Amino acid sequence: MSSSQQTEQSHHPTFQQYVLVAIILFVITIIEFFAIFPDPDLIGAAKIPVLAILSAIKFAIVIMFYMHLKFDDRMFTVLFLAGLALAFMVGIAVLAMFTALDGKPRAFASAHAVPYEKGEHGVEHVKPTAVPIPTVPPAATTPTESAAPDVTATTAPEPAAEPAGGSGTGASIDIGTDGDALKFSEEALSAASGSSVTVTFNNGSAVNQHNWVLVQDGTKDAVATDGTAAGPAAAWIKPGDERVVASSTLLNPGDSEEVTFTAPAAGTYQFVCTFPGHNFTMFGDFTVN
Amino acid sequence: MAHAAEHAIEETTTGLNHRKMLMWVFLGSDCMFFAALVATYMVYRGQSLTGPYPIDIIDVPITTISTFVLLCSSFAMVQALSATNRDDQRGIRIWLLATAILGAIFIGFQIYEFNHFKNAGLTLGTNLFGATFFTLTGFHGAHVTVGIIWLLGMLVVAMKGRLGPASSLDVELVGLYWHFVDIVWIIIFTLLYLIAGFDTGPAALPGG
Repeated sequence: MSSSQQTEQSHHPTFQQYVLVAIILFVITIIEFFAIFPDPDLIGAAKIPVLAILSAIKFAIVIMFYMHLKFDDRMFTVLFLAGLALAFMVGIAVLAMFTALDGKPRAFASAHAVPYEKGEHGVEHVKPTAVPIPTVPPAATTPTESAAPDVTATTAPEPAAEPAGGSGTGASIDIGTDGDALKFSEEALSAASGSSVTVTFNNGSAVNQHNWVLVQDGTKDAVATDGTAAGPAAAWIKPGDERVVASSTLLNPGDSEEVTFTAPAAGTYQFVCTFPGHNFTMFGDFTVN
Repeated sequence: MAHAAEHAIEETTTGLNHRKMLMWVFLGSDCMFFAALVATYMVYRGQSLTGPYPIDIIDVPITTISTFVLLCSSFAMVQALSATNRDDQRGIRIWLLATAILGAIFIGFQIYEFNHFKNAGLTLGTNLFGATFFTLTGFHGAHVTVGIIWLLGMLVVAMKGRLGPASSLDVELVGLYWHFVDIVWIIIFTLLYLIAGFDTGPAALPGG
């Protein structure tokens, strides 16, 4: 023990002072508690500065009295405050890297973030096979690789989910996901203009929600961006978006859905998953002949 | 104080005890560790795309109680040091045990909270809120747990009657660590519970 400590031994707070410090800490905590209740907006915008100041006071009281910095050698205070100052800089640096001045995430970071979430929280799903299992609607499709009269899936990485012939002028297309990857099982689809098309989208992912949205050519990212803004309540599609030709609902992992629509005018279209972040990798071309 | 005086002959270039200085340097650096985790929480605050969101599951009243428990443990800790300096053997044991028990109660609250969150659908991998929340509070809980083990170790030494004014530095060091864990919780409680505890989903981005 150093000589400086000995002389300061007598300067340690007394029992009464310790009790007083404890009471002050309790009272501040109670004030903090009631500052946010019963209504979170009770003190409005002042809430955060008030809470920050109260916490800083508690922080200071503990290090001064309980940790004896007030009575101890100043070197200890310098060492700790140096660490604390660096800690503040670490915090500011991290915030500055990822957050713009308006408090929103930096555009680049947010545009390139790939969200990860589970469909069923905490529930382990059985991992599906790599090849998406095509959903077979009764009498609508057969899982054979026969070419449909007016619908073909081309340049697919996994040609297992080829569409099959439908009845009459209608055509059926099966599309899934590339396992858990943020990709569709098909990169290109086609149909004849004016025909009735039924797309059966099977979300083969075990973890992610997906949808299948047919949009005007070159608008997939814009539609997805607006969809993100529209939020989960709108199933990540802006209500009334004119660029959307057809869309499924937001499917949970393992679910599938049929989307029936009339193929629009001949030309190139895109299909995309509008779940935030998925549009960068999860899309394909839809050609109408 | 004769023992203390003998002990003081130990000379260091700074005139300060090296163990105590090491503890303060460690605490200073630990500030940076927690600052990185707190900053990460603030960066991703309000960015979770799926629930549960803080407002769905954060229980401020219960956590206020556990905060009181931790504040009480800090009070018990200073009493343990005070008893050590007075050579009050019974006091040393009682207050060290009280500190450890109060710390254990705090951890009990945290285990209850984590379990409750898990049942409500929030895990480390659910969303950004879960990832940043559990990482930050989990590391704090780990610090508290280390402190409890340290305190119980000191209690064993105390039971053998080996703690007294001559070894008050041993108690003081565990006390410094313990109070540090307390002040880190003061920050976490204010930020994660009082300020961010009412955050909703991505539609409502952080208000400040």
